[in-house]
Amino acid sequence: MSRAGSLRGYVLVRIALMIPMVWVLLTVVFLMMRVAPGSPVSATLGGKLSPAEIAEREAALGFDRPLIVQYLDYLWDAVRFQFGTTVTDGQTIGSLIVENGGATLTLTVAALLVAIVFGLPLGLIAGRYRETIPDAFIRVFAILGYAAPPFFVGLLAQLLFAKNLDWLPASKMASPITQATAEVHTHILIIDLAIDGNWDGVWDVILHLILPATTLGLLVMGVFIRLVRVNVGQALGGDYVEAARARGVGERRVVSRHAFRNALVPVVTVMGLQAALLLGGAVLTEQTFSWPGLGTRLLQYLNSRDYIGVQGLITFFALIVVFISLIIDIVNALIDPRVRY
Amino acid sequence: MLAVGAAACGDSSDDDGGNTTSGGSTPEASAGVADTVILGSTDKVVALDPVGAYDLGSQQLIGNIYQNLLSVPAGGNKPEPDAAESCEFTDPKTYVCKLKPDLKFSSGDPLTSEDVKFSLDRMVKIADPTGPFTLLGSLDSVEATDPMTVTMKLKKADATFPFILTHNVAAIVPNEVYSADAKQPDDKIVGSGPYKLDKYTPNQQAVFSINPEYNGPNKGKTPNFIVQYFEQASALKLAIEQGEVDIAYRSLSPTDLEALRNGGNGVKVVDGAGTEIRYITFNVKKKPVDDVAVRKAIAQVIDREAITTNVYKGTATPLYSTVPSAFPGAKPAFQEAFGDPDPAKAKAILEEAGVSTPVTLDGWYTPTHYGPVEADLWNELKRQLEGSGLFKVSLDSTEWDQYKSEAFEKGTYYFYGLGWFPDFPDADNYLSPFMRDGGFFQNGYSNKEVNDLLDEELATDDAAKREEAFGKIQDIEAKDVPLIPLWEGKQVAAVREGVEGVETTFDPAFQFRFWVVSKKAD
Repeated sequence: MSRAGSLRGYVLVRIALMIPMVWVLLTVVFLMMRVAPGSPVSATLGGKLSPAEIAEREAALGFDRPLIVQYLDYLWDAVRFQFGTTVTDGQTIGSLIVENGGATLTLTVAALLVAIVFGLPLGLIAGRYRETIPDAFIRVFAILGYAAPPFFVGLLAQLLFAKNLDWLPASKMASPITQATAEVHTHILIIDLAIDGNWDGVWDVILHLILPATTLGLLVMGVFIRLVRVNVGQALGGDYVEAARARGVGERRVVSRHAFRNALVPVVTVMGLQAALLLGGAVLTEQTFSWPGLGTRLLQYLNSRDYIGVQGLITFFALIVVFISLIIDIVNALIDPRVRY
Repeated sequence: MLAVGAAACGDSSDDDGGNTTSGGSTPEASAGVADTVILGSTDKVVALDPVGAYDLGSQQLIGNIYQNLLSVPAGGNKPEPDAAESCEFTDPKTYVCKLKPDLKFSSGDPLTSEDVKFSLDRMVKIADPTGPFTLLGSLDSVEATDPMTVTMKLKKADATFPFILTHNVAAIVPNEVYSADAKQPDDKIVGSGPYKLDKYTPNQQAVFSINPEYNGPNKGKTPNFIVQYFEQASALKLAIEQGEVDIAYRSLSPTDLEALRNGGNGVKVVDGAGTEIRYITFNVKKKPVDDVAVRKAIAQVIDREAITTNVYKGTATPLYSTVPSAFPGAKPAFQEAFGDPDPAKAKAILEEAGVSTPVTLDGWYTPTHYGPVEADLWNELKRQLEGSGLFKVSLDSTEWDQYKSEAFEKGTYYFYGLGWFPDFPDADNYLSPFMRDGGFFQNGYSNKEVNDLLDEELATDDAAKREEAFGKIQDIEAKDVPLIPLWEGKQVAAVREGVEGVETTFDPAFQFRFWVVSKKAD
């Protein structure tokens, strides 16, 4: 088989494998939501109505039908990408993704930038000066960043930078006035403001972005630092670095041109693999900062037992992670001919 | 599209670089009044079409967008004509309203009796699972007798019907715009109320401006009103401290409010009458509370003053009947029956009934559904009950869905906490749901005399007769103790300096009226 044919087969197998993965996930989410007590009606109106009245309203929504019937309906809808309308705020999953996806994208991209801009140099320094005091500090910082939950780091950041120092806004994506006056073009606020040339508004969003992006960025930064540190360490001991040194190349150049560049290759792959970590962290970060993204909505629907919202959003998250994994697999296969199943 | 003037921005939006354009058709602010007020809230909004809205978050917005035939004016406690010029019972089962002339929706369409009929009919027809349609249970039919007259026929006499007409179940929507059998999308909302919705981003922001077509008495003082939604109360507290919002309303914790009250920072805390109540429910079919002496002894020990001071930091006041004190007909029956907390009297009650002490009680509460201090409330109750030496209390808690299922559907708990917000501001709404045939929580209590008194007060619109019946029911409540009222919550908001009028909207109607609020221009 030619190499192109082999690659095509590999990609097709990977895509085929996505289907059972997503099916298992859909099934687990469906069952978990139904096994737990309560429904969107009882969560919203349970303190107002008698059990009989609640049962009537649940029946009107079809929640009294046999589980298998509901499950088959749900799968049929999922195949057609029809996830219905949320019970507790009347949103379609499509409109949710459009209205809130921009906020999550803004936050995750900004967090990734924070992680790259600060994580890579720190990893480089730690790798270059292994087993020294700066290395020890950076390692501790990386472990703390990775281990500390975003909601805790976020609260501390709000306390220090918003409440005590009053340097930065504590929550939301923009000031109310900025948001109220922004014209919608792309549903990504910062881009919409830039399109209209509203640079005060863009700056307002950036100010609001600093604390949540740093909080979420710390999570990924910890991974980057440790990875770069290890890779730089290994690269510095590699034959080609020794050879460069033997040719009389200066140490600074050895580190920056040879060791660091090679150490970055696995980081690029790992960056893609951080998508799940980023999305998971985004849920907690968004909630802490009242950031109006998909993660905040997911928690809201979980709390209000809104099956439709939870199922739709988790499926969307799953598809993103699966899709990114697929892209990484394909890129890996393209780069490294040894990768085949 | 909203255009917000620079004077709106308050302290922070300028500092934060908030955009401040102006122009368009924005109503102009009166001299010295800022043209935008920003209210922050942690409420959730289920729907902006009244057919789907039976929750407080939605009702707060709907009350500003739509008109009802009747409404409770700020500071009042009974229905007054709003879109109607007059309303009256022509017989116990017929209620007739005459509309005011020249009413218009924000779309420019005239508001006629056909719209009223359309609104009530579609509420019942759509019967949305998250909607309040069940409140119209006594409505039989609606007729648009002429363009200015609506006749509502009831299935049975119902004195609460005028109160129900103040609820968003009876908000008037335009039949030219809304579908008769489907919920209106949130971005296509049209009403005839003092404010119109300009922009709505679900769960994030609702932007309002004064409805230029509105010509009623509730003309807004502030041209633009923004409601900004927060996920966390802690973020809302920081937002008011930083000046990002002008008003923080629903729901800051008592601790946060106390900190803001004492903290300066250009923020003050305002409060007023509220109608939220909290109470203990007994399953009167289960031991040991099937013995009325045990229930009475508990009522005799509980110290409400200590609860409102220690747990609620003054944001709640003691409640001695399930009917809050602001309602006509409210009677402090538990205070009259039990007086001050007195463990000696409680001991005598138990001894007389031959109940051996200490009585073991298993108390249940739900930790988050009713706010962040529910555990503190129950620990205070435990402290008081055990402090009497008469009770041994164990506490358990579970989240709302499980809790409700165990409490109402399975009847597992016999001693547990619940709260209530009114559907409409009438004492009946604090008695019928609890006292008739086991209440909505099905606690096993049933009393024919109570049922008869409830039927009696519903059958008359004579205020004195109704209040007399309410008084008797409250006396029975304190005699049989199927539940114990604990406290009534004040409505509380934190406001930036310069914001005025918030306290005037705090009354039993539980409606945040944008039109009474203003902010001094910078």
